[in-house]
Amino acid sequence: MLACVVTLAAAPAYAHHSFAAEFDITKPVRLVGKVTRIEWSNPHTYFYIDVADASGKVANWAIEGASPGALSRRSWEKDDLKIGQTVVVEGYRAKNGSNTANGRRVTLPDGRALYGGSPGDGGPGDNGTDQGDLPGTPIAK
Amino acid sequence: MPILQHLCQLLYDSSFGTMLRESNNAFSVIESIHVLSITLVFGTIAILDLRMLGLILRPIAVTRVARSVFPLTWTGFAISFITGFLLFWAESAKMYPNSAFRTKLILLALVGLNPLIFHTTVYRRVHKWEALHLAPWRARAAAIASITLWSGVIIAGRAIAYF
Repeated sequence: MLACVVTLAAAPAYAHHSFAAEFDITKPVRLVGKVTRIEWSNPHTYFYIDVADASGKVANWAIEGASPGALSRRSWEKDDLKIGQTVVVEGYRAKNGSNTANGRRVTLPDGRALYGGSPGDGGPGDNGTDQGDLPGTPIAK
Repeated sequence: MPILQHLCQLLYDSSFGTMLRESNNAFSVIESIHVLSITLVFGTIAILDLRMLGLILRPIAVTRVARSVFPLTWTGFAISFITGFLLFWAESAKMYPNSAFRTKLILLALVGLNPLIFHTTVYRRVHKWEALHLAPWRARAAAIASITLWSGVIIAGRAIAYF
């Protein structure tokens, strides 16, 4: 039972929340990696990418995004991202220090850069509209 | 893997659960109906509780108030139970370890126990006190327990998002 409680305390924050509930605006992060898993789920979507650091060590990152409905209204559909494809994510790290980030600007394999934040979550780029202001920098071609 | 966790995973992986979880609109519509039906449960049950505490509708017999609100309370409960189960279905594997969700289930069990005790004890003699402006202390205690526990259910439900 005690082990159960400890596991609970360590369980990641997965459900619906504002930006500030889980993410740290002072910790921006830019990640380039290959998609390993996709959770096209309510109330937040997640995808996971393997990111190599300068020494070549690979870490798996969880990238949180808006709900399927919100992403769909930005023309980001479930099939736009597939396992093995490379994406560029500009976002903010989780407050708990885990390899989790909220993806605010996600550059999809087809070259489109899309806003990833939840409408009204109060995070960077949230301007009260469905689309949001696309933060971050365009990828140099 | 514990059997309950296994069941949660089965629900989560089912095609209906996946359809709800991946839906563009259905999930948020069900969420809204869930919240609206909870307002019906809490609102109508609070009318009876406040009447027993002597705060509202004092000239009206407790039994009359109870008869008026119960159909609405049960309707609200049925809708909130169904919609709540659908939301759980969509997210079951993630709900299993969620401490706020577990707290909500425990509070729901307690909030069900409260009227069970109430109806088998002090409410059996309700015809002796139904016209009193202030109900006997056992009934007032049940009313306070009801309002407190239902508030706890709502707070724990909202907290699910933050655990």
